[in-house]
Amino acid sequence: MSLILRKCFQNVQISSLLKNTRVLMPVRNVGSEVSDADVPKFDMENPFLKEKQQCILCKHKIDPDYKNVKLLSQFQSPYTGRIYGRHITGLCKAKHEKLESEIVKSQSAGLMTVYLKEPCFIKDPKLFDAERPIRPHRF
Amino acid sequence: MITYELCLLLRVMPKKELAATLKRTATAIFDKSGFIRKIENLGTRDMPYKTSSHGVVYNKASYFLIEMNVPPSTVEELKEEYSRDVDIIRRRVYKKIPPSEAECTLHEEMLPAPYRKDVQELIASSKKLQKPRFSYNSGLDYYPFQK
Ligand SMILES: [Zn+2]
Repeated sequence: MSLILRKCFQNVQISSLLKNTRVLMPVRNVGSEVSDADVPKFDMENPFLKEKQQCILCKHKIDPDYKNVKLLSQFQSPYTGRIYGRHITGLCKAKHEKLESEIVKSQSAGLMTVYLKEPCFIKDPKLFDAERPIRPHRF
Repeated sequence: MITYELCLLLRVMPKKELAATLKRTATAIFDKSGFIRKIENLGTRDMPYKTSSHGVVYNKASYFLIEMNVPPSTVEELKEEYSRDVDIIRRRVYKKIPPSEAECTLHEEMLPAPYRKDVQELIASSKKLQKPRFSYNSGLDYYPFQK
């Protein structure tokens, strides 16, 4: 009686092992097939990428020139005649340096005022707000 | 060959005298084996600041622009010659700069500080200056230098 039982159990164990191996094999295959089909294809560009910023002079393709006094005076303070900083004008580094050098040239050539903004340019449209700088003021 | 821009402020005077003065300035350029590309009249107007030259204070001037090509060595001589001219209040010679084709870098400049390239370079250069320090986990169980 005990012998028969033992044999039975042996059979059961072997069969269960076989079953397990059989079951495991196909599961793996199915999984790989499914993942291939279901993976979404991200060929599109990053939709969260921000648009490239451009300064106002680069956007309109304007190069500051010492003879263009009307443009240069828009970057001049009406109170002191000084040139506003880059944190206020919002220009890129290259354009701001060019602007500063052109203003100095213009003032030297006797085309542009030094200690004030010329009264005829006071009512020109404002390109930026000196009270709201991009980066905080130095003082 | 460098193209120069000569910005002239002339005394306000009748047309005939003005023409004579301009002719004088032009012949000075030709004498220095240069040539003129363009003469522009920028108008007669109040100057942004009063200027005294040759003992007279001027508040008004006629503006002229001359685009010219002269040998660079003669520019100083030309300026000196014009400085002796009584009818010329002010003169400046600038190089004509062609418009730059560089891309706008504002986008990179507006990034937070650690992402900006110049800041990264600054940090890297400061790290280079740091002295090498003794590390205590190197297996040596005493400090080999003087404390
Ligand atoms: Zn720009």
